Amino acid sequence: MSVSPRIAIADTCFIIDWARYRNREIIFRVFDIVFIPEAVLREIKSGTTITWVARWLASGKLSLYTESDDEVEESRSLIIRSRRISHMIPVDLPEALCIVIGRRKGYTVLTENKGAIMATDIFDEYRGVIVWRALEILLTAQLEGVLSVECSDSSKVFKEYEEDTLHIFPRRDLIEAVSRIEQEICRQRGART
Amino acid sequence: MSRKYVDKEELEHRIRRWAELEEEARRIRREMADWEFIEKQEPRIKEALKYYIEKGDIRRASMLAGVDLEAFRDLLRKARIPVIV
Repeated sequence: MSVSPRIAIADTCFIIDWARYRNREIIFRVFDIVFIPEAVLREIKSGTTITWVARWLASGKLSLYTESDDEVEESRSLIIRSRRISHMIPVDLPEALCIVIGRRKGYTVLTENKGAIMATDIFDEYRGVIVWRALEILLTAQLEGVLSVECSDSSKVFKEYEEDTLHIFPRRDLIEAVSRIEQEICRQRGART
Repeated sequence: MSRKYVDKEELEHRIRRWAELEEEARRIRREMADWEFIEKQEPRIKEALKYYIEKGDIRRASMLAGVDLEAFRDLLRKARIPVIV
């Protein structure tokens, strides 16, 4: 039985935070391939991030995505729509491309850009796009055994990410993720002992 | 009730929910920020950091600061302003 590869496309806000995380390599155990659009690569400037991106581009686990004219056109339309809604953080080309490509190809969109997350909630045609933040990657990595869980401190992995990046997960989402770890990992461990 | 009306109502509900979440994030950014560091910055950077605290919009904030996105992300870390997503 063949299993479909798990493919993601990452935007700039995600990459620049993730590259600072101590266990950043685990992303390639959660996803088979992670694409970055050319528009995203052009925004990456720091040595730390470039070194990490270059290493994984060379390995083939990270791959450059060349956006088509059609994808750019749809992304520009999404940008304009996002700017027409008051109270919405507007999206710009790099994250708009990720959303459009995610919808068309079925890739998981990796972003820490609030405007991008809002867009996939507010615009009906993009509501089916799967959007993951670092929170969902860290949760999945623990549920799938890529990262080990310390049941004496089941929020440890999330706290480490917050420390490394000064990125804070919304408390409600964090509580929900930790609760899943406790229910699906720690409770089972407890039942076995 | 027309379909269009339902869509508008639902859209307003979604936007209102996001506005509430953003209000909470704004409060945390204000509380955690190192205001002494912010006030010491040159005017352009200072205003960009304050804009980010209020709006949570990293792209426009980095444009205001006149630096690229990654450099602005570093400024946020130095100013102890969290990104809450």
